[in-house]
Amino acid sequence: MNRHAVGNELVVFVTQWGLMLVGFGILTKFVAPLNLLNPSLSLGLYFDAAVKALIALVLSVTWLFVWDRQVRLYFHRRGK
Amino acid sequence: MPSLGANTVAILIALGSFPVSLGLTRFLMYWNSKHGITGIDVHKLNRPKVPEMVGAAVPITLILFAAIYALTGGASSIALLAYSLVVGLAALVGAVDDRLKMRGIFKPLLTLLCGLPLLVLGLAFPGEIYASTLHVPLFGSYHLPVIYPLTILVAVSVTSNTVNMLDPLNGSMAGSISIVAGGLLIGSLLIGTGSMPIFLYASLMFSLLGFLYYNRFPARAFAGNVGQLSIGASVGALAILGKTEIASIVAIFPNIQNSFFFLSRIRRFTEHRELTARPTKLLPDGRLADSEDPRAPLTLVRTLLIGRPATENEIVSTLWMLFLTSASLAVITLLLTGVML
Repeated sequence: MNRHAVGNELVVFVTQWGLMLVGFGILTKFVAPLNLLNPSLSLGLYFDAAVKALIALVLSVTWLFVWDRQVRLYFHRRGK
Repeated sequence: MPSLGANTVAILIALGSFPVSLGLTRFLMYWNSKHGITGIDVHKLNRPKVPEMVGAAVPITLILFAAIYALTGGASSIALLAYSLVVGLAALVGAVDDRLKMRGIFKPLLTLLCGLPLLVLGLAFPGEIYASTLHVPLFGSYHLPVIYPLTILVAVSVTSNTVNMLDPLNGSMAGSISIVAGGLLIGSLLIGTGSMPIFLYASLMFSLLGFLYYNRFPARAFAGNVGQLSIGASVGALAILGKTEIASIVAIFPNIQNSFFFLSRIRRFTEHRELTARPTKLLPDGRLADSEDPRAPLTLVRTLLIGRPATENEIVSTLWMLFLTSASLAVITLLLTGVML
């Protein structure tokens, strides 16, 4: 077993796990309670949901970007 | 644990899926071999022919045992019907792909439709399938009446395809997903969810172990897309039905990393068989090594081989170790779901 690679992967997983929990925390505590549009307006509920989904998408892409950089830092340069 | 009796009965019934899956796997090995449904094990020097599509034993077992559990009155028949339809549809997509070799883009598109039974039955029978409330570890929960139903389709497609993409070696998918199912089963038992998700996680784990007996190194059976897609769809459906959404994402971290790096390098949905640049290569001594091809994707297996070739058996053991870690993190995630900061 390549202990070094396994160790690096474990660090990646634990880091991404922590970041994911923080991301969901931001969504729960700050994004979800926002009242961006009055739900009584026509399609207000849907626009509100769409904007919040967009914020969640941006957070997800940021999370994957950090994951990408971390793996490349640990593995890609070593392979060259 | 509020209902130890119901959970014990659920696990005991699910235990039966091990011998059934084992027997079905043996039968399909014989039948598929006889009908020329075989594939070549490219990671062996002698390139043996191995029966393909034998993973069909797992969805058949899952659907059979879901029906048995519904008959015993263990859980809502609507939820079990939705689960069976998701698994069955994904198996059908996989079987069509195995026989017709569809282009890479069709699998994610068709598996989007596999989540429809959860969505449609969920809308028809409110509260029976999903609750639209996401429980977040440490931070409470929030209601998603519009977004949650839509993410069901994406969730099933993502889990089925990501599981499909991480089965390059003997026993890698069957062993890994049985660890995922085992971890989520333990987590569900610890937080005291209903007996239905406990039954379905146990059933998934035991049927995978039955298949793994013949799929482990040196493999005498290959899962095929029929097995991989249906098993992945089962993980996605269970995340919804068992309300283990976030923990399920954590449990399949190795799959997510593998798929993300595959897609970010290739930049399109494609089949492994269509790749011109391979991430790994077979050495003359039978070990696997990093191909060192800069055009090849940085798959999970490749990261484990950088600078150090290994035998197939060693790599699969390492993969299982990584899944043990992600499954442990998933259990912690489930335990933290009830904790508030």
